[in-house]
Amino acid sequence: MYYTDILRRSSRSLKSAKARTLLTALAIAVGTFALTMTLAASNGAQSYVNKIISDNFDPAELIVAKDQTVFQSGDRTKPKEYDSSFVSSVSNAGATTQTKRLNDEDLAKIKSQPDIEQIRLGTSVNLRYITRSGQKKYVGTAQGFSPAQNPQILAGKIPKPLNNKNILLPEAYVSALGFSSPNDAIGKSVTLVVSRPFSESTVRSLAQNGTLDSSKKIESAFDTATLEQQFIIVGIMKKPMSSQPGTELYMFIGVEDAQVLNDYATLGTADYHKYAFVYARVKDGNDNNKLLAAKKTLQSAEYFVNSVEDTQKFLTQIISVLRGIVVAFGMIAIIASVFGIVNTMYISVLQRTSEIGLMKALGMRKRDIGKLFRFEAAWIGFLGGIIGSLSALAVGTALNPWITEKLDLGVGNKLLIFRALQIIILIIILMIVAILAGLLPARKAAKLDPIEALRTE
Amino acid sequence: MIVVKNLNKAYGKKDNLFLALKDVSFEIPDGSTLAIIGKSGSGKSTLMHIMSGLDHPSGGSVVIDDQELHAMKSRAMDNFRAKQMSFIFQSFFVEANQTCYQNVMLPLEIAKVPRRHRKDMVLKALKAVELEDKVYNLASNLSGGQKQRLAIARAIVNKPKLIFADEPTGNLDSTTGDLIMSLLFGLNKKLGCTLVIVTHDEELASKCLTQIRLKDGSIERMSKTKESRKK
Repeated sequence: MYYTDILRRSSRSLKSAKARTLLTALAIAVGTFALTMTLAASNGAQSYVNKIISDNFDPAELIVAKDQTVFQSGDRTKPKEYDSSFVSSVSNAGATTQTKRLNDEDLAKIKSQPDIEQIRLGTSVNLRYITRSGQKKYVGTAQGFSPAQNPQILAGKIPKPLNNKNILLPEAYVSALGFSSPNDAIGKSVTLVVSRPFSESTVRSLAQNGTLDSSKKIESAFDTATLEQQFIIVGIMKKPMSSQPGTELYMFIGVEDAQVLNDYATLGTADYHKYAFVYARVKDGNDNNKLLAAKKTLQSAEYFVNSVEDTQKFLTQIISVLRGIVVAFGMIAIIASVFGIVNTMYISVLQRTSEIGLMKALGMRKRDIGKLFRFEAAWIGFLGGIIGSLSALAVGTALNPWITEKLDLGVGNKLLIFRALQIIILIIILMIVAILAGLLPARKAAKLDPIEALRTE
Repeated sequence: MIVVKNLNKAYGKKDNLFLALKDVSFEIPDGSTLAIIGKSGSGKSTLMHIMSGLDHPSGGSVVIDDQELHAMKSRAMDNFRAKQMSFIFQSFFVEANQTCYQNVMLPLEIAKVPRRHRKDMVLKALKAVELEDKVYNLASNLSGGQKQRLAIARAIVNKPKLIFADEPTGNLDSTTGDLIMSLLFGLNKKLGCTLVIVTHDEELASKCLTQIRLKDGSIERMSKTKESRKK
């Protein structure tokens, strides 16, 4: 029998038991739905991470640190031997950790590497506040602007390079600082204020002057140890589609300007001219081989180095783990549905015993009878795959705008991204699984004795 | 020519040995009609199954057109059955959920007849059994007689040399049964195929050129009509 004839005959057989076929296919569809959604969510998360990376990092740069824990790796359970480069920091969760920091000597050493073209500090400054004349004061963070960053601009433009006391503000500050519109803010000035922490000698002198005997006086003492700088607004940034979580309200200033503010805010503290990490731009770093060579050189100089790709891998690691868990559940659903296929196919063989006997009497080969039933199983797998994936596609497409809004992913970003090739591969896998499930019933059909089969009414 | 020689068929072993056929031998010429008659358990169905290659004899041989049927390998046997033989059963065995056209197409698909010839062959077969107006009707909507005619169309569509009919009128009333038999005998003459009928029905058997009466697995009596002797 020709393949096409077997294929057509098997599909006709399924049509003659529509309810049974549909119910079996629906069992597979449940697993397919879960797997299609998981793949789509994984694609969306991956794409979101990729966008964050491409909008915030230069692929030719390496991130260089002196402490492995900066990259969320290394053994945190063993005590670290003290040296003067350790600085304490508080994580978002409130834990205090001590990490080795780079100092100016390290920066010079890194810069002296022949592969390194340029060093960039990833300075971010905690402002005491930002304000402008006659307006309220707001807390905020100013960060040195990286040329690799690609914020969407609502008004104004990004000068190249961004420096000379120019600032890019997030749109949320426009109305807060009393501007009528993003365009209204362009060219206007704002005041950035940083305060210097009290050094031991400052505290002593304040105590001698009697300044520390009331909280009000302490507050005013703080105000005296501040640096105020005027910045001109050159651009208003749209709420970012993709940014590192927690940095949505960052304002950007020139790297040198950020350094001045940071130096003031850290002078006399352990943080002064200490850097958790720096960005080292590699000559022709877009060439992966050169990037890897530079990475090796820096590693041999006992620095810990991550490329953008490494960062990307770290960020996607958790996505992969979650994907693995959900895929496992989807697979369990598929495996459960396999028993449904086996059952359906056995019933089909029993119900069509006389038909099998007739086909054998008419000269149909055992092999072709087996194929007929395997193809039936494949059709069920195909049907389940189509129903499951199309349902996922419909539900996902309908839910995407809502999910984007709820998760605040930003306009243009989707959590669920469906890829045709993945769905096609998934359906093919389901068909193979269904064929495997149909092997035993097909074998039973092929082995039926035609004489016995023809005795069945 | 079909030559059946010293055919034996035994079931079971030693103490439980049962001989379903004992030294059965006969010959029938091409285009002839043969009735195998006998009571239940006489061995007539076993003889038909062995003659059609569905079952193997314990001894003896069946030679069809100089080819020893049971010496063939499985694949050759399947091919032989697909191209040279066909069956009609008491229970019709038509696919209720398929159309008449799809039912009659089955032997052509099994025999790998080129697609371009199939439609014409199916329509001709359905016309021969006067079901040309039911081509695309579901078999489930046919009466018993129509179903048997459909089974006959399926049996003749591939122009086999040998048609085996196992109690072809057993499930039909006498009027319909007569119509079916006259159709079968008419097709036998028209197409020149050999017709082997297994039946209880003496009247039906008497219409065949050769009759073999089996009793306890042996030929009790073999009779031939004058016409058969001439052949």
